[in-house]
Amino acid sequence: MKPPRENIYFVDGLPVPETPQPGEKPAPWRQTRVIGKARPRVDAYERVSGTAVYPSDVILPKMLYGAILRCPHPHAKVRRVDLTAATRLPGVHAAISGDSLKVNPEWEYRTFGGPTVKSLLFDPHCRHEGEVVAAVAAETPYLARDALAGIQVDYDVLPFVTDEQQALAPDAPVIHGDSNRVGPPQVYQRGDVAKGFGEADVVLTETYHTACELHTPMELHGCVAEWDGDRLTIWESTQGVFAVQSGVAKALGLPLSKVRIIGRYMGGGFGSKLVAGKYTVIAAILARQIGRPVKLVLSREETYLAVGNRPPNHMALKAGVKKDGRLTALDFTGTGSGGAYPAGGTSLLDWQVRDLYTCPNVRCETTDVYIHAGPARPFRAPGHPQGSWALEQMMDALAHAIKMDPVQLRLKNIPAFSQARDGQPPYTTTGFAACLQEGAKAFDWQQARLKPARGKADEVWLRGVGMAGASWFLGAGFGPATVVLRVFADGSVNLNMGAADIGTGTKTVMAMVVAEELGIKSDMIQIEHADTGSTQFSGPSGGSKTVPTDAPAARAAAVAVKRQLLAMAAVQLEEKAKRLTIRDGRIHSTGASDKAVGIAELKELKRQGVIVGVGQKGPRPEGKVVVPFAAQFCEVAVNRHTGELKIVRFLGANDSGRVMSRLTYDNQVYGGITMGIGFGTTEKRYLDHGQTGKLVNRNWHDYKLPTALDVPVDMTSLPIEMPDDQANIVGAKGLGEPVTIPTAAAIANAVFHATGIRVTTTPINPVQLSRLLAQHRKKE
Amino acid sequence: MADEHETNDRKGVTRRQFMTRVGVGAVAATVVGGPPAGRAEAAQVMRPGEMAKITLWINTRRHRLLVAPRWSLLYVIRERLGLTATKVGCERGECGACTVLVDDRPIYACMLLAVEAENKKITTLEGLMQGEQIGPVQDAFIQHDAFQCGYCTCGQIMAAEGLLRKNPRPADEAIPLAVSGNLCRCGAYPQIFKAVRAAADKRGDQ
Amino acid sequence: MLPDFAYTRPTSIKEAVKALSAANARVHAGGTDLLGCLRDEIFSVDILVSLGRLDSLRGIRQTADGGLRIGALTTIADVAENLLIQKHYTALAQAAGEVASPQLRNQGTIGGNLCQKPRCWYYRGEFHCLRKGGDMCYAADGQSQFHCLFGSGDICYIVHPSDTAPALIALGAKVRIAGKRRQKTVPVEKFFVLPEDDVQTETILAAEEIVTEIILPPPPANLKSRYRKVRARRSWDFALSGAALALQFDDSDVVRRARVVLSGVAPIPWRAPAVETVLTGQALTPAVIARAANAAVENAEPLAQNEYKVPLLRGMLKEELGAFG
Repeated sequence: MKPPRENIYFVDGLPVPETPQPGEKPAPWRQTRVIGKARPRVDAYERVSGTAVYPSDVILPKMLYGAILRCPHPHAKVRRVDLTAATRLPGVHAAISGDSLKVNPEWEYRTFGGPTVKSLLFDPHCRHEGEVVAAVAAETPYLARDALAGIQVDYDVLPFVTDEQQALAPDAPVIHGDSNRVGPPQVYQRGDVAKGFGEADVVLTETYHTACELHTPMELHGCVAEWDGDRLTIWESTQGVFAVQSGVAKALGLPLSKVRIIGRYMGGGFGSKLVAGKYTVIAAILARQIGRPVKLVLSREETYLAVGNRPPNHMALKAGVKKDGRLTALDFTGTGSGGAYPAGGTSLLDWQVRDLYTCPNVRCETTDVYIHAGPARPFRAPGHPQGSWALEQMMDALAHAIKMDPVQLRLKNIPAFSQARDGQPPYTTTGFAACLQEGAKAFDWQQARLKPARGKADEVWLRGVGMAGASWFLGAGFGPATVVLRVFADGSVNLNMGAADIGTGTKTVMAMVVAEELGIKSDMIQIEHADTGSTQFSGPSGGSKTVPTDAPAARAAAVAVKRQLLAMAAVQLEEKAKRLTIRDGRIHSTGASDKAVGIAELKELKRQGVIVGVGQKGPRPEGKVVVPFAAQFCEVAVNRHTGELKIVRFLGANDSGRVMSRLTYDNQVYGGITMGIGFGTTEKRYLDHGQTGKLVNRNWHDYKLPTALDVPVDMTSLPIEMPDDQANIVGAKGLGEPVTIPTAAAIANAVFHATGIRVTTTPINPVQLSRLLAQHRKKE
Repeated sequence: MADEHETNDRKGVTRRQFMTRVGVGAVAATVVGGPPAGRAEAAQVMRPGEMAKITLWINTRRHRLLVAPRWSLLYVIRERLGLTATKVGCERGECGACTVLVDDRPIYACMLLAVEAENKKITTLEGLMQGEQIGPVQDAFIQHDAFQCGYCTCGQIMAAEGLLRKNPRPADEAIPLAVSGNLCRCGAYPQIFKAVRAAADKRGDQ
Repeated sequence: MLPDFAYTRPTSIKEAVKALSAANARVHAGGTDLLGCLRDEIFSVDILVSLGRLDSLRGIRQTADGGLRIGALTTIADVAENLLIQKHYTALAQAAGEVASPQLRNQGTIGGNLCQKPRCWYYRGEFHCLRKGGDMCYAADGQSQFHCLFGSGDICYIVHPSDTAPALIALGAKVRIAGKRRQKTVPVEKFFVLPEDDVQTETILAAEEIVTEIILPPPPANLKSRYRKVRARRSWDFALSGAALALQFDDSDVVRRARVVLSGVAPIPWRAPAVETVLTGQALTPAVIARAANAAVENAEPLAQNEYKVPLLRGMLKEELGAFG
């Protein structure tokens, strides 16, 4: 999904700059020497040697440790905050609250297409557990903890609603205004669903539920803030330094130029680190007040409360199909909650239903509600895994009902254009059918489907296979983004860009792009990135945007310097520039073999010292839409006695255009599947609805991420490589999100195949399966 | 055109990012070796808030430093000694980002008080390096791309190192088990398994 | 971040007992459970008494009668990896191997595993529950997926978190305790306390007492034992339901003696005498197994959200008993 566009840098609808000019676009790569190859990451050494400095690793002279006091109630008003005792503790340098500040900055929440709600940095009206109430800075984190314990707060504890299914009940406490609806229901319609159901041979209806999922990246949310006069520097664990910069500048009333955000390494975000946190601004305020740098890293428990989640969703889907497999109608309703502020509780929830399969009659209605819980943040393919949980299980059920292979059913409904977008634009490319067909082949789907009808009574493990398809809303990336290349006199290159490398291999891909285009080795390239003080602009890395956004800009920059280098060589070699090519750091004539010169030997380069090439991400193709596709296949085993679920193997087939870097591509695929396994089988937020409204599982034991033993050793990544030359000048579409969309549904379908039980609520674990298996036995 | 071959062998190559670590506190690391065998001083009581002098043997160096009784080994290693390869993920023994070896066995540094680590042999990721040169497990992690964001990686490497020190020729099943106390939210587990396998096989060959 | 405390590391058991007699003192063995409790502020502590110097409490030794003594500070990993335990007390080795994660098994001790605090998320969370001296149990009407089926006394619905304790009980182990007076030896089965007896404590240990040793009797001939644990994920997780089974067979594969102890279903490791009765004197035929599995859940009293544990427990026992032989 799009990152929130509230920040100073973006204006929706403004055309973005482009290099090279449309008429001068470089030809698509044909044979590549570097792109698409399996190369270790350019920063691998730093990451395995511990020399990569993550923001939470930063230690500065005289640095203090900040900590935040949070509201323990889901709904309360702060009457009084007494900082006296905390301030008096030895080693405590500052304690602040909303009242102690001269300015309590405004804090806005908004969601794409939704309302804007204004709050305060320290809002005395706490609408979720974990809202900030006060903060301290002390010489050690232990003393900071003691200081928090010394702060006295009087609360008016207020009635709350934390269950999204209760939020619209007449007696439910209201979070904002006069209703817990975030806005009017969002209705989408094409065709006539009643007519469609009339034409169907089979109509099925089912309800589906997906639990709230938490991002919990390995590196905690946090930063180090340091002032130098009126200039603020923040080392922040972030997906987007410029977004953080604008958030901080806005909150503190500073010019952008005075706020420098450095985010070179970061330990994962998955959408939860796209913008500045309240903690970022608080660290800056504490540091300014004391005149010393402040490190403020949240505790793990705090990250469960206050830095986002994937909303819980409840869905109903009615679907009609003809015996030949053509879908006739889809009718979807969905609700969900992004918590106490507008945060996209149902954003893109219905997108898969609207757009993935050919269907003439579709109606979708979604209702986003407020509850007294921590605000959601975009989470890897917002809305999509939830919608996929419904749609892809329904497709499986339809296939079962009409006795058709689930892959075949999907193949009968492959669209060539985006049905749900205005004007129904065609896809630049679609490899969806290929994902399904080649994925099925590589998985040996036909054979795997044939299994002895329900296992014998003494057989403990029931085996089954399942699959699901997916598309991702955004595949084209979005500008503006600028990359600057500088070629030094020795032919080595500095690549300067704003994008973060959130673990996806951004730096590696960009280095490969430049190496490919300039014919130099990757280790001649040094990258500066993700620093508002010294790098170019790029938006936050979200929406699978970084490769399709920054790689074209990097190629454009490389083309710009290449043109200069060839012009220099043309003069020096007395050869036409057109006939020159660069290979292994040398410029050769394609005609006369003796005409060659090393980049480092170019006289004109020496004369200039350094040359510069600027590349900018161009606009998206007009009249067409860029969409990545995926299909996943898996095999599971279910213990008939205990409901334990083993995932035996997984295959992910992806059409994300050109494969830029094979190792990091495959890594995304495995990582997306692993995250989908968590969403589908282990993860769930539990709130104490009826009693206190508090979050009861706020740690990595009670909130269960998949461990090394919960994923199959046997995972396969199958790229369906179709360079998309219309998408951009590198031919790549987004990858990071589609890889996680169909996973959970594929598992559910495999569980159905194994057991005959359709599990419609996440997570599929022994808690559910042992009960469902027992019920199923009774029925039989 | 010939396929460009790059190895990315960074052994012995100085290639550090700009270091933002400055002033990690005055600590004397004067003696190289291991902890002494005997230890029989009488029990003393460390009062709350008071700092006591202790000796830690980290990566074969002796560190004499002042600690409070409640300080974790993790806090001391990272924030006092600046050895930030040991990461902080949960501070409650649930993620493995802070895995170090104590007497060659992997443990969570967040769940060990610094005072309890006295006179034990502590190895952090920095201790697997010889100068700038990385060790075989680290090298295998590079070759197999066994990480994404890299934040859990140091802990994963230490868990793998602990496995191989105890069991140089592990069965395939032993590998996921050995890293089952180390979460990776990016989900690089399959590559981690491959990397540990490769490191084990390489050691076995030597 | 932990709150502040004093710390001492005595050099003898006697000194340790003395140090523990101070107000609000607590034992520190491996520390893996203790530090988590302190972080979560489940209880406060004035002074931690570390057993770190008591080397005599480490190690596994065979006794003269052919049994085994396991020092209380022996790590869970050492128990899991011990060849004698793997061979003669298989359930214990299996149970130890299922505890938490590799790192915690390397640090946590067998004594500590018996003394650990429950994992109820209300008890561990910011809820002033009965077990912490408050006036209500939040699990009774709250999020009770991971709570007990037996033994709550309608007071407190925790499950006992230990994997090793059920195995030790099934194997007839005793625990040795040092205190102010003489050492005493108690069957592990008698070591735990039900909510109805005292809702604020889990064991019979007095504040100054220390578990020093676990004593396993000589393994009877033809004893087969197993530990099975079902959990929501495959590493670092406590039992949704588990069972330690120690069955002694005669030469014609008839069960002579049976001890069955369940984990994850009661506030203490839960002996299942009804199951033992069904099994005793019988060969493990499918019919006997089915009756035994049913007997295990006969008096189950599920809460609103943990009813699944009934079929889970039954199914697990079926599978596990079927795996003998």
